Amino acid sequence: MTFKPDPQTFASSIKEVSFGPEGAAVTFGGSNVLPFYAFDAPIAHKPLVGIEISDKGPDRELPALAAFYDGANTLSEIAARACTAPGADFLSLKLEGADPNGDNMPSDEAAALAKEVADASVLPLLVQGVDNVDKDAELLPKVAEALQGKNAILMSAKEENYKGIAVAAVTAYGQKIGAESAVDINLAKQLNVLIAQMGIQQGNYVMHLGNSAAGYGFEYLASTIERVKIAALSQNDDALQPPAVTPVAGDAWSVKESLVSEADFPEWGPREQRGIEMEISTAAACLASGSDAVILRHPSSVETIAKLIAELV
Amino acid sequence: MKKLFNRVFDGADEMYALAEKSIAEALDELGPDAPLAMPNTAYYLANYLSYTKRQVTTIGGLKEAFEEAKSWNIHEDNTSAVFKTGFGVFMAAEAIEACKYAKSPDPYEGNYHGHLSDAEVRELGVPLVTNDIPGFVVIYGKAPSDEEAVDIIKGYQTRGIFVFLLGEIIEQARRRELNMGFPVRVVAVGPDIWQVAHIISFVNRAAMIFGAVQPGDRWDLDEYTFWRIHAFVNVYEPVSDLVVSCGAGAIAMGFPVITDDENDMWPVPKTLLIQKDTTNFIETSLEARDIKLKITNVDIPVAFASAFEGEIVRKPDTRVDYDGPRFDSFELVRTLEAHEIEDHKIEVFGPDIDELPAGEKLGIGLLAEVAGKNMQKDFEPVFERNFHYFVNCAEGVMHTGQRDIIRIRISNAAFDAGFRLKHLGEILYAKIMSEYDTVVDKCQVKIYTKPDDLKRLRAEANAVYDERDARLKTLTDESVDVFYNCILCQSFSPSHVCIVTPERLGLCGAVSWLDAKATNQLNPQGPCQVVTRERVIDPEIGIWEDVNENVLASSHGNLESVSLYSIMVDPMTSCGCFECICGIEPLSNGVVIVNREHIGITPLGMTFPEMASMTGGGVQTPGFMGHGKHFIASKKFMKAEGGSARIVWMPKALKELVASKLNATAKELYDIDGFTDMIGDETIAEDPEVLMEFLAEKGHPALEMEPMF
Repeated sequence: MTFKPDPQTFASSIKEVSFGPEGAAVTFGGSNVLPFYAFDAPIAHKPLVGIEISDKGPDRELPALAAFYDGANTLSEIAARACTAPGADFLSLKLEGADPNGDNMPSDEAAALAKEVADASVLPLLVQGVDNVDKDAELLPKVAEALQGKNAILMSAKEENYKGIAVAAVTAYGQKIGAESAVDINLAKQLNVLIAQMGIQQGNYVMHLGNSAAGYGFEYLASTIERVKIAALSQNDDALQPPAVTPVAGDAWSVKESLVSEADFPEWGPREQRGIEMEISTAAACLASGSDAVILRHPSSVETIAKLIAELV
Repeated sequence: MKKLFNRVFDGADEMYALAEKSIAEALDELGPDAPLAMPNTAYYLANYLSYTKRQVTTIGGLKEAFEEAKSWNIHEDNTSAVFKTGFGVFMAAEAIEACKYAKSPDPYEGNYHGHLSDAEVRELGVPLVTNDIPGFVVIYGKAPSDEEAVDIIKGYQTRGIFVFLLGEIIEQARRRELNMGFPVRVVAVGPDIWQVAHIISFVNRAAMIFGAVQPGDRWDLDEYTFWRIHAFVNVYEPVSDLVVSCGAGAIAMGFPVITDDENDMWPVPKTLLIQKDTTNFIETSLEARDIKLKITNVDIPVAFASAFEGEIVRKPDTRVDYDGPRFDSFELVRTLEAHEIEDHKIEVFGPDIDELPAGEKLGIGLLAEVAGKNMQKDFEPVFERNFHYFVNCAEGVMHTGQRDIIRIRISNAAFDAGFRLKHLGEILYAKIMSEYDTVVDKCQVKIYTKPDDLKRLRAEANAVYDERDARLKTLTDESVDVFYNCILCQSFSPSHVCIVTPERLGLCGAVSWLDAKATNQLNPQGPCQVVTRERVIDPEIGIWEDVNENVLASSHGNLESVSLYSIMVDPMTSCGCFECICGIEPLSNGVVIVNREHIGITPLGMTFPEMASMTGGGVQTPGFMGHGKHFIASKKFMKAEGGSARIVWMPKALKELVASKLNATAKELYDIDGFTDMIGDETIAEDPEVLMEFLAEKGHPALEMEPMF
């Protein structure tokens, strides 16, 4: 008996979002099949891999990471170097210094740093919030203003602060935003509906459905991403159709496996390798669940995941 | 009297004449090719661009554009002509201003703000769009006194309203050394009425930037300014024809004008208002433009947070004990007409706390009167029930009970910190206005402590409670047009959906149909959505095609069909928060109900947690169903299987709780007196055989009913 394929395609598809300045923009989303079901129908755009940098610079205690960023000292140099990582589709900036629980850098200064990074980057830029709704509400509109013409994605518009961020970033300054909710399909949907009600059109926002490292309650996240994707495709629920961006790096590098030293746990091997493996395993699972883009910190992770994606689509 | 239309036309002619002169002078001085641009804008002369699509860049270009603008000055006796003339006036005014900027990039040399840059448009536009700034006012003219000028400006400032000043009021504010500028949200635009062009330019650019309104699209522009830009105008007497002509343009954009000038002024409701008492400009204006202010803080001398909700004020710490059960007391929400309410008015009738000896016990009455276009009487009990949470959140204040059995204790510490009765009013006002802002526009609070008042008002309150209870009784599944769903629990039970009907409240017991309705109205994107019930499949079992469609969508494809009145056919799922579980007892052909609080075993051989493990998680298990306590006495309880006559066992405490209502239902449906006496409990039997003997002895109706499966 010959094998007769029965392709499972959907009448609806994930919305396309393009970001980055004219001529250097990338597009993702657009697919009408489940993640990597390339055998059902061609995947419209491959999932993207972002490389994350922080205004505080890379962790130079990690030998390979230090070697990669060797000689890159200013934030501009670090940004430019990150863009050379094989497999990186976009640059992701975390403005750690602006965190009110840390250095609490003024928003104007942080926005100026974002501008510096955007100018030094040949890749499209995504800016992550500082995980503080009040600070993000002040910071992200300033970043949006500073990045005029860069068509960047500004993450972390949450239910508490989406209005100002959405209107300032998208309407006033022509950027894209990420609608962030805490691992819950209904909250994700509600936020998307609210953002749409501000007059923000599809194609101008992505979803950030939450983050977690593999093994740390990750099943919850994976199942949420999966259910969002299935509802978006099988029920044509357009409030769940923006592409999903999952920042993996922050969680992957802050769990025990990536933090404890080799001296304390010699049998676990070098710390850097463990962090890379946390990033790779988490990112691979996110992509399999339905993330349309992941953000990683280590160039080795970026290269591996980019290769995985290239093999599967 | 001169007609309002004619005043507009005469004023327009004046403005056009002034513009003509300005342009002629500029042409003479600079020539037609001289560049002409407002600083820091990509929108040329925004009023010309917005109304006529013209991109004016030179003085000659302005001359041309102005010639076209003359066709907007239409002296016809109809509203659309007057409105168009009003827009024309703004173009004429912009021409006057543009000529100044052609001669100097900073014609006001810092004395006045003049033109607003695009950056300022964006900076102010964002909070206007998001409603963080609830609106803006343009004040023109000379206030009756310098002091009043400052009062009105500060009054708007404290309400978060952005203030644009034109004319003499600027000098008045300066004499009183009022701090002005963009950051403090008070902008001295200019000394003359034609500087209004800068404010209109701001509005037109905001519409293009934030509303994506295309130049030349009058329809879209009008829509946008009316719905999205919450602006209004205050003008002090005397109001000249010139100012009236600008007012016509403002009104055309949906911005009401409020003045104290009666001469030749023709009031139009919600549009052109005469308020002789200038100190009432603010209130009149906000109401005319439907601006609701966001209440963010509760103005009381003690801390206010949900952390204090469970705080108990003990007797020795009690400064005053309002003891509802012993003295006449009540709490009540009533809906009035908007004009009957003075917003934020808080009145105390009777002695305040500091007029009483320490430790005094007496009664109290809390009456909140609300008004709102979207307010419904059905919301009154929903607000009222939350008084408990609102009042409890104040540190050192304890509230228990509801309706006429409330008790409020205020601690010595709270008293010493300055807490008085009016602060109870502040709490209720702030919480009602912030939590229910989508339906309440105005609110005032009255607090009573005199025994005579309380006796009389408690009787009135009781009449209201009775009326509400009667309404609840008439509220049946058949008497309403829609049901509501509730997906509040999907965060942990992803495929569960409750369908809430008047006769079947949510299984958690916390969401009645009225609650769900209120939740939906207050938060249209929230967890409770309307479920229509138009295409009936089976009214006995409770199946509707549209209910099923909703369940399919809101369970994200997990549930295809739900019956509302059956435990056997596609019973409603449970998240896990159910107050009670009902399960089949095969021997007696009936059902056992067990509530969460009951720790013992049931005649099914299972405890509550064991039964819960079969019922929760959003799966349909025929023969088992989670539900709220109050569903037990509903006529829709297991209606498909014969109703509450199937109940053979309940824990004693639960039986006592539902006895009166359940007995009434059994009397009505089956003509059985004292039905609950026929139902077993843990003191009678925990074993099915013993239970059977008891049921047989009592002649329980379930024994005679048809088998359930």
